[in-house]
Amino acid sequence: MSQPPPQGAIAEFTEVDGLIAAVRAARAAGWSRLDAHAPHPVPEAAEALGARAAPVAWIAVAAGIFGAATAYGTEWYLSVHDYPLNVGGRPMDAWPVFLPAAYIVGVLWAAAAALLGMLRLNRLPRLHHPVFQARGFHRASQDRYFLHLSAEDPLFEPEAALEFLRGLAPLRVSVVRAA
Amino acid sequence: MSLSTAPVVAATLRPGGWGFRIALLLALAGVAVLAGAVSTLLVLGIGVWGNNIPYVWGFDLIAYAWWIGIANAASLFAAVLVLRRHGLRTAVNRFAEAVALAAVLAAALYPILHLGRPWLFGWTIPYPATTRLWPQFGSPLVWDFWGIMAHVVVTSLFWFIGLIPDLATLRDRAATEGRWAMARAYGLFALGWRGSVVHWHRHQAAYRLVAALVLPLLLSAQTVVALEFATTLVPAWHQARLPVHVVVTGLPSGIGVVLAMAAVLRQALSLERFVDAEDMDLLARLLACAALASGAAYAHELVTGLYLEDPETRAALAARAFGTGAPAYWGAVLLAVLLPQLLWRQGLRSRAWVVIPVGLLAAAGVWLDRWSLVVGGLLRERLPAHAVAYAPSPAEWALLGGSAALFAAALLLFGRYIPVVAIFEIRHEETLTEAAEEER
Amino acid sequence: MPPHPMGETAGRRDVLLMGASVALAAAGCDGPDEHGHPLHARPRGVAAEDASYATVLDLEGLGRGVLVRTRAGHAVKLEGNPQHPASLGATDIFAEAAVLSLHDPERSRRIRRDGAPLPPAELDAALAEARAALRTAGGAGLRLLTGPIASPTLARLIGEVLAAYPGARWHQHDPLADDAALAGAMAAFGRPVAVLPDLGRARAVLCLGADPLGPGPAQLRQARDWSSGRREGRAAGRMPRLFVAEASPSLTGARADRRIPLHPAEAEGFARAVAAALGVPGLARQGAHPEAAGIAAALREAGPAGLVLAGRGQPPAVHALALAMNQALGAPGTSLRLTVPPLAQPEPMAASLAGLTSAMAANEVTHLLVLGANPLAEAPAALGFAAALRRVGFTLHAGQWVDETAHACRWHVPLPHPLEAWGDARASCGTPAIRQPVTLPLVEAARGEAELLSALLGPPQTARAAVANTWRTAWGEADFESRWDAALEAGIAGEPAPAIAPALRPDWDRPGEAAPATLTAVFAPDIGPEAQNAWLQEMPRPLTGLAWGNAALFDPLTAATLGLAPGDEAELTLEGRQVLAACWPVPGQAPGCVTLPLGGGRRAAGAVGTGRGFDANRLRPADGAWAAPGLAVRATGRRAALVATQAHHRPDEAGAVPRLAPGEALAPIQPGASLHPDWAYEGRAWAMSIDVDACIGCNACAIACQAENNVPVVGPEELARGRGMHWLRIDRYDAPPAAPAAASFQPVPCMHCEKAPCEPVCPVNATVHDSEGLNVMVHARCVGTRTCSNNCPYKVRRFNWDDHRRALDTPRRNPEVALRPRGVMEKCTYCSHRITAARTQAGLEGRALRDGEVETACQRACPTQAITFGDLNAPGSAVAALRRDGRSYALLGHLETRPRTTYLAQTVPGETA
Repeated sequence: MSQPPPQGAIAEFTEVDGLIAAVRAARAAGWSRLDAHAPHPVPEAAEALGARAAPVAWIAVAAGIFGAATAYGTEWYLSVHDYPLNVGGRPMDAWPVFLPAAYIVGVLWAAAAALLGMLRLNRLPRLHHPVFQARGFHRASQDRYFLHLSAEDPLFEPEAALEFLRGLAPLRVSVVRAA
Repeated sequence: MSLSTAPVVAATLRPGGWGFRIALLLALAGVAVLAGAVSTLLVLGIGVWGNNIPYVWGFDLIAYAWWIGIANAASLFAAVLVLRRHGLRTAVNRFAEAVALAAVLAAALYPILHLGRPWLFGWTIPYPATTRLWPQFGSPLVWDFWGIMAHVVVTSLFWFIGLIPDLATLRDRAATEGRWAMARAYGLFALGWRGSVVHWHRHQAAYRLVAALVLPLLLSAQTVVALEFATTLVPAWHQARLPVHVVVTGLPSGIGVVLAMAAVLRQALSLERFVDAEDMDLLARLLACAALASGAAYAHELVTGLYLEDPETRAALAARAFGTGAPAYWGAVLLAVLLPQLLWRQGLRSRAWVVIPVGLLAAAGVWLDRWSLVVGGLLRERLPAHAVAYAPSPAEWALLGGSAALFAAALLLFGRYIPVVAIFEIRHEETLTEAAEEER
Repeated sequence: MPPHPMGETAGRRDVLLMGASVALAAAGCDGPDEHGHPLHARPRGVAAEDASYATVLDLEGLGRGVLVRTRAGHAVKLEGNPQHPASLGATDIFAEAAVLSLHDPERSRRIRRDGAPLPPAELDAALAEARAALRTAGGAGLRLLTGPIASPTLARLIGEVLAAYPGARWHQHDPLADDAALAGAMAAFGRPVAVLPDLGRARAVLCLGADPLGPGPAQLRQARDWSSGRREGRAAGRMPRLFVAEASPSLTGARADRRIPLHPAEAEGFARAVAAALGVPGLARQGAHPEAAGIAAALREAGPAGLVLAGRGQPPAVHALALAMNQALGAPGTSLRLTVPPLAQPEPMAASLAGLTSAMAANEVTHLLVLGANPLAEAPAALGFAAALRRVGFTLHAGQWVDETAHACRWHVPLPHPLEAWGDARASCGTPAIRQPVTLPLVEAARGEAELLSALLGPPQTARAAVANTWRTAWGEADFESRWDAALEAGIAGEPAPAIAPALRPDWDRPGEAAPATLTAVFAPDIGPEAQNAWLQEMPRPLTGLAWGNAALFDPLTAATLGLAPGDEAELTLEGRQVLAACWPVPGQAPGCVTLPLGGGRRAAGAVGTGRGFDANRLRPADGAWAAPGLAVRATGRRAALVATQAHHRPDEAGAVPRLAPGEALAPIQPGASLHPDWAYEGRAWAMSIDVDACIGCNACAIACQAENNVPVVGPEELARGRGMHWLRIDRYDAPPAAPAAASFQPVPCMHCEKAPCEPVCPVNATVHDSEGLNVMVHARCVGTRTCSNNCPYKVRRFNWDDHRRALDTPRRNPEVALRPRGVMEKCTYCSHRITAARTQAGLEGRALRDGEVETACQRACPTQAITFGDLNAPGSAVAALRRDGRSYALLGHLETRPRTTYLAQTVPGETA
């Protein structure tokens, strides 16, 4: 009883194909709260898990447009209303000259939003995660592939999960427990 | 497979060899010179430079435009590689990003230091100051403020996004070796990256998106620098074609520096396996291409400038290209256009002792082009009001050398503490290669 | 010469401090008896805080009236006295710069014997001893050496000294004296005569080496007359003609309608040819020149309105020829007036100094008083004055600086600056004026010439008492008090000298010896005794663009033949005497002669003046000749340190100065098309019009601007690097070879463009427009990107590469104009502080501003009234009328910057004329 409750079960693979096959098999078996870890992008596995990248793009586009509009609006307000000045005989609302900065600021917002949006969607930064406790998981950033079945899955039952994973021909399987 | 990435990771983690230490020492000595030059500048003012009226800009803006050109060409190159998922990106794009970032840092010195009162630099930022005055948003210098700020931020983002998984690798390697402090440091910046394929998917989307955003930004950044000149009434500068000319003629500098860097690192860090002969070959041919494009820009300039423009512009170009400005103008053509054409020969572009000097000389040629623009462009003014030419002072040489040392030091430290080539991409590529082999 | 502190080479910092005009003593608030009489006082502030005083300053011994503006007792700015006939409200460079010399920290402050400072009582004792010794000898051995003296008081005192000491002698020396003019007058009339031209009435003028528009005591008057003559002539459709035959281009030559470069050896022949063509009776010899007939025809057509002027450097025969031609034309009474010379004792000064030198060499001199002269620097080295001086027992030098002569004399007494001392003067036309101090003496130990002269007669008299005595005698006791006050207030104390009508002697023509037509050295004046004035040193010389020194001026062809490029060092040899000088080619210089400006290469002028350029006096013949044949030139192969602000050849490729035939008109100034709507200026719209046709390039406006706006002096090194700070520069354009004149001058202040290119590029709104259309520079907001200068096509913006505030923040500064810190731009403001002051004044009086009420400093200084300033929107304003003039144009108008400063084109003789 000294052991903490299990957080999930994990299987380790040496080949990327093993992982892809394992993910597909798990989905087919009805597992919903699962994740795959790889040292490089595995688009097939991501597709199998139903990941979509489009939201990142939409966040960036929206932020870019908002940023450009804010920049233009600020330039216009400050130059025309807040402190109007005769600069070189130009009208105060010399709109073409407001465009370059608005454009650049829009790009800046979009780029920042792409990073922040990606991190937000990934729920990062998160420096502690139960999966880090898995045996040998440090190789997930180097040369090993992992399939992790979360304990939050309604199907999860430690022994059954391990049994299922063993059926996928992994290098090894283990139960993930919080430290 | 763990063997394959080992040299890259090891290169970042093991203590530097003697060559590295000497190089870093030299670079840091140069940075000390830079610190001295900057302190002198701040205490004594820019009167220590050789500028005057009408040559109010000299080494400051030449170096600025030049560094920006290097940064832009290198970023542009890295972004195109990411977007095209070109094979070369695995080897070279991280250098290119690092070169770009270091060059932007070197460039960013100048807009502040060239001011008569650098401590008031903040007045170009729109913040509610006590005077209630705002920046003048129509000024190309304000556009440039946004341009360089966005350039620094977006280049850093681009570089950082690509770096997150590699930092996770380093974190885990260090932890495996029991170096916990280092693991914590890398881990903090890795943001808890755990290699989830879902994360990978969004990460790749964001990476490509930022790469795509880098392209218009770089074009605009270089364009804004050119606009600082093109929006004036100086006959040699007041040309609609100038932004395109500056962007195109800037390309050989960035690609040349990336090429030279790649050749140096390959030798110094024994990374032949990751930056292979084919990579070098492709890069060298790219430099030759950029030089050719640059040559086309010069040809266009001469034809339109000498035959189609108004007399004042014609006279100004004639003074730049055929008058006292001729050495710089044709020096730029020789080094940045003609010299890289040697690289079309297979036998030459495969040799490090050829590509390193050619790459660096191409960058020097672009510097001469910027001199020809900033200084040579003022040889003919609207009124013949002044007799005194511009000559750089030792303080300006110190600043130029110092900023080059800063660039070198940043790259050396980068090479030491951060993976030189993108580890995750090499892994990915190897996986794909092996898969292909198995299929065969 | 023993080593002395002032002879050391000065560092750059010293020079800058000099430009700084540090006050020597706190000029205070208690008005002493010696203090002057306030003329103008504004309603606000008490008189002592803000007042102007009328006084008079000497140049070559002759006075020009000035008004001195003071702030809190400090003299700040000089302007011309409109009531004074030699000023007419204008100033020249020397008058403008006098206020800087007044505050020169290197002025002599102590009485010295053998270089060591002594209390004044020691001097009094020495003078008493000298007096006793001289009285027993009847004054034998006493010599006085002064500059040219026109001051009635000094002349009276010298007369009294000579009467008290019958054996004493008085010598005058002026390196710029024109002894040949005196000789010519003696030949023609048998008496000294002053020729006062009236260029306003003259219809055709021939200058034989004369430079009536160039620097000199009559420049302001003559330039004003010349320009008004041109204005009236243009209005009447008959432009007066100006012919100039000269060796080296002068300001007059630059503005000539026909200029003939003439080697000095040809001068007499040319004059004879014109005289012969005019049919002047009594010619002893004929001459020939292809141009003579045309010029004679123009002169003959003008008749009594014709005028011939012979200038410095011409032989006596040419002066006599000029006088005879004027008599033949009937010019006296119309285009010129002959009067008694204003100098108290006209004499050939070179001969006078030579007489003194030989007397000293023969041990005939026991006591020598040098009052306000500096023969060791200004006399030809060949004369041997310095060696002869060592034979004199008692030598006393009175001067404002411890200069070369001070070092050679036993005693040195500091002279007060003319702005802090009482005195009197005569103008070139003879009009007397009383000089009053406008500030407390900054040098307490200073003693004026009058005090020193009276000390020879008995107990010293104050200068004020001496001056008052002179005029009490002249006016009579009854009138004295009222006339004295009136004279101080008006700045003039009498009438001009009456005209005389001497008859031409029958034997007037005494042909000179033919000079060999070899390479000839021609000596020329420069800033001369004002070498220690930093404003004048830094002022680019109008025809060469050189500053902080001089150069030997060659015609471009001769220089090329000798293998000399601009700025090369040349070794000049004349009769065995040698000097090294920089070579500078000057378009328009007559071939075969080299012009050597005098006054450079000083050995002990002070930190500013020492060692600037070369000393032409080392070559000048002992007789003080203005031209000397037999010059040998050799290129040394070295480069000379030369500060050139403009190229040696400046053709007008940009069309900056259009040249119109009489009656020709330019297209009216119209705003061109613009994508943006125009900015409406509903209220005042300040504008300036500069008549390029009237500009003589005298630089008075530039120095006035420097004085008014606290414009720093940057020193030779910085100026050579292109970092001069003058807000107003004068561009010279060399005429094409076939053109009649030598050059055009174009003053270039800020254009105050309505579509100012400098403004939209400033990132921080540091340069913007105000509601009256002024392009204002907000120094406090400037971060120093300098991009505004890049975008200024006129290049009128200046950058503070260094911090000049310490050097400028002295009692001399104009408190109404802020000092600029390092790292900011600055430029012409249209004297916006004057606009503000006038607006405030009008507001206090509850009235509208009057046209012409705001005068910019440059406009106020201009002797030819070339600059007009005012409100373009005011109905009937002068500047609006000039903008509609057919000669009006915008500089670089095709750039569509819509400048508020516009120009009036030059008029050149038409094809038929």
